[in-house]
Amino acid sequence: MTMTKSPIITPQAAIRVRGLSKFFGPIDEGAIARTGPEFGTARDPLSGSIVAAWDVNFDVAAGEALGIVGESGSGKSTVLRCIAGDQPSSAGSVHLMCHDEGRTNVLDLSPAARRKLRIDQLSVVYQDPAEGLSLGVTAGGNIADPLTAAGWRNFEAIRVRARDLLDRTEVPLDRMDDIVRNFSGGMRQRVQIARALANNPPIVLLDEPTTGLDASIASGVLDLIRGLLEELDLAVVVVSHDFGVIEMLTQRCIVMQHGRVVEDALTDQLLEDPQHPYSQKLVTAARS
Amino acid sequence: MSSTVDEIAGPPQSVPFALLDEESKREIRRALLQAVCIPGFQVPFGSREMPVARGWGSGGLQISLAIVGVNDTIKVIDQGDDEGVNAVNLRRLITSSTGIEETSETDEATIVQSRHRIPEDAMTSDHILVLQVPVPEPLRGIERNMKELERMHAEGDYSKMWVSLYEDKVRNGVITQTTGYPCLVAQRYVMATTPIPRWDIPRLHQAEFLTLFGAGREKRVYAIPPFTDVEPLTFEDVPFEVEASNGAKCRLCGSEETFLVETPGSESRWSCSDTAWCRRKRTK
Amino acid sequence: MGYAAARGGLAAIEFAENLVQELRDGHPSSPLETDQVTGRLRLLVDRVMGEAGLWAPELAAQALRQAEGDVIEAVHLLRAFKSTLPRIGISEVVDADDMIPERRIVPAFREPGGPQILGRSTDYTARMLSTTRRETKPKVQPASGTPADEPLDVIPPMQRMSDVLRDMQLLVDRRRTDDSEPFDITRMPAKPPAPRSARLSTMARAETGALVGQWYRNILGPDGYLHEVTLGEVRHGAMPITVTHPVTRNPVKIGEYRVTEVEAIEDLDGIDEDRALFDIGYGLCFGQNERKAIAMANLDIACHRDDQRSELEQSILMTTDGLDSSGFLEHLKLPHYVTFRSMIERKIAVRQARLQSAPTESKP
Repeated sequence: MTMTKSPIITPQAAIRVRGLSKFFGPIDEGAIARTGPEFGTARDPLSGSIVAAWDVNFDVAAGEALGIVGESGSGKSTVLRCIAGDQPSSAGSVHLMCHDEGRTNVLDLSPAARRKLRIDQLSVVYQDPAEGLSLGVTAGGNIADPLTAAGWRNFEAIRVRARDLLDRTEVPLDRMDDIVRNFSGGMRQRVQIARALANNPPIVLLDEPTTGLDASIASGVLDLIRGLLEELDLAVVVVSHDFGVIEMLTQRCIVMQHGRVVEDALTDQLLEDPQHPYSQKLVTAARS
Repeated sequence: MSSTVDEIAGPPQSVPFALLDEESKREIRRALLQAVCIPGFQVPFGSREMPVARGWGSGGLQISLAIVGVNDTIKVIDQGDDEGVNAVNLRRLITSSTGIEETSETDEATIVQSRHRIPEDAMTSDHILVLQVPVPEPLRGIERNMKELERMHAEGDYSKMWVSLYEDKVRNGVITQTTGYPCLVAQRYVMATTPIPRWDIPRLHQAEFLTLFGAGREKRVYAIPPFTDVEPLTFEDVPFEVEASNGAKCRLCGSEETFLVETPGSESRWSCSDTAWCRRKRTK
Repeated sequence: MGYAAARGGLAAIEFAENLVQELRDGHPSSPLETDQVTGRLRLLVDRVMGEAGLWAPELAAQALRQAEGDVIEAVHLLRAFKSTLPRIGISEVVDADDMIPERRIVPAFREPGGPQILGRSTDYTARMLSTTRRETKPKVQPASGTPADEPLDVIPPMQRMSDVLRDMQLLVDRRRTDDSEPFDITRMPAKPPAPRSARLSTMARAETGALVGQWYRNILGPDGYLHEVTLGEVRHGAMPITVTHPVTRNPVKIGEYRVTEVEAIEDLDGIDEDRALFDIGYGLCFGQNERKAIAMANLDIACHRDDQRSELEQSILMTTDGLDSSGFLEHLKLPHYVTFRSMIERKIAVRQARLQSAPTESKP
């Protein structure tokens, strides 16, 4: 699905997502009609194809964090990966203010052009640090990677920048020259965040950034992310199954179930008064 | 039956001029033209099996045989030495299959085929330097997957290479890459400089002569046309270092300004790697 | 000079060459004729021709004699000889069913359509070293193995096992039309992702040991990309070679060559595969070399199923050629004193850098 080139992004929207969909296997209208929350599945019983995400719409402004919440298999990580370019999407559009002033649907860009966006326009922090970091490389070297990709060629300048970022993400500086494989899970996440911020991208996507960490470690990492969001004028999407994370980091959120968005609300409102039965179930479970 | 084959094949020929059949030579020249047009880009070619083994200069030999004409004069060196056994073997293959002149003097040669060195004498636009390449892929040390390597070159995505240089400097205090130092050619492709020593790298930059690289086993050729930028990859504040000789002199000719090789254990242990240069210096 | 081993010029080379030649050709035993090599060392000649990609028994025998029996060296001689020849024509496509069989084994069925022909094989012979030499006159025709009283022309037609499975609707249909012109690996290097024809021709020329090693590594080694297949067909026999006559434009049979052909039946069990169907891997190489053709067929289907997920295809395309691997290995014998000098220099540089940084910064 190709959108015409027009300045469709309003000044407030750093990210505009329209009709974003992702299928696995051949899909027809019947498959869309046979899947979703009311059928309790994303898999079409006839064709076996999967409607991993269907017709996802949202805007995120600079300085704002949007949450995508849902259980595993709801399609929330798929949406994030389609925006990041890790997965090809099946339909829809994604316009980024930072790219061509929002005139281009980045889903239409070549894989090479999409990879270029990842240097200084859009960063991703993954649940698994091995996806976002080279574990055999030092913490500093992991930050040198996006910096050199952006054209940095001065060794001392790279060292200074890496040191600043690691300092800001509370990684002990005496570990800057240790390889990341020797780091704890929480420390790896901090290095991943430092690396994501290396070239001051206007957009950061966080995919379950604290899942799998011990509670005390996770809360430290969450504090760090919240501090960074307050300090930097980022447009952020946070994907999590954990309402605690969503509550702490986001102002607005969407709830996904079986590949569909079932609710779209201010985060406070959603937690106070969830409308959709699935949201109610999730909130009740989180509060108990 | 066999008479039909003979009919189709025509009269039997002796070994052709420059060993390879004309079609093959033309094909290699086409690949070389592409290489010259895209400096530093590895051009795949249908590498032929040569009378020398793969890894023994078969790529350089194919280039020399594809470009040689009856008026050429060939010089072949291995480690800078015209008398290295493999240099001798390659040289006699070229001369015996073409009848052209051979020389050990760089200024008399029109084609210089070399393994691991560039001759000390300044070469000009009258020379073509043919370098034998064992490993044409400069990024293999950091990436093994061929599809990914192709992507990295296509997109000019060399950040992994820079990270490896960064890591090297952090870990070791210096950049420890020895020979075959990676260079950026014409601001576009990162290229493996065969294993020539770092000493020879500055002489590729804006060189008057054409350099052709042949990797027979890996079936790639590439080129540096005359007057092309060849910049060793290094950080702005970490100077590229050629091999330090710390004032050593050649024990035979007394030179300090050439690439010296070492004889372990002896008192005066250094001598010129370029034996023709050294000999001429002594007889002058 | 300190480096006499690799320096010394033409005289030393010629002396080394003469040593080989004189001790080989001057051996007091009776001279080795090429018909002895082709006649008595048939499998060796087959192997050399297969790895060389050149069907020329007489030349292969000469190469083996010149190479003192070194298979890689003989393959090298043949391939380098081939480089001097112009390519004068391209043969017609052959149908493997035109093979005149000398041997056919179908492990997948007890009674396949057509006969099982054991043919010329030591598969079922006790491997007892025979220390006596026997001279016998041949009693059987080369293509036999069937009872001697049954002439060749009454061998019933052999039903191909892939056709049997297709008739039973048990076979994935992946016949395709977009890879009709085979990829010529002698004119353009194959790189992943490559068409199947490039993989098959690479394996057909591969070093037998390298292919068997690649197969076994996948069975027992760390990669594990590969299933053990059930063999549908193992055939060996003569195939016609036909060209278009340059004047009359008619197809003309100009000779024969022997091949080994294998169909390997694969039991599909991947999550994205149809568990109700089989698939087939294919192997074909010059001469009688069943080991190689079987490894090839199994790697063919393994590579197809792997579908770029691992680097199996890269391994097959890049690491199985005997001349590539042996040549590069042996190049280590060449002088490397320029590169080694540069390495020593960097070792000293690292040591100096360490000494300089030691007082200010202590690194683990």
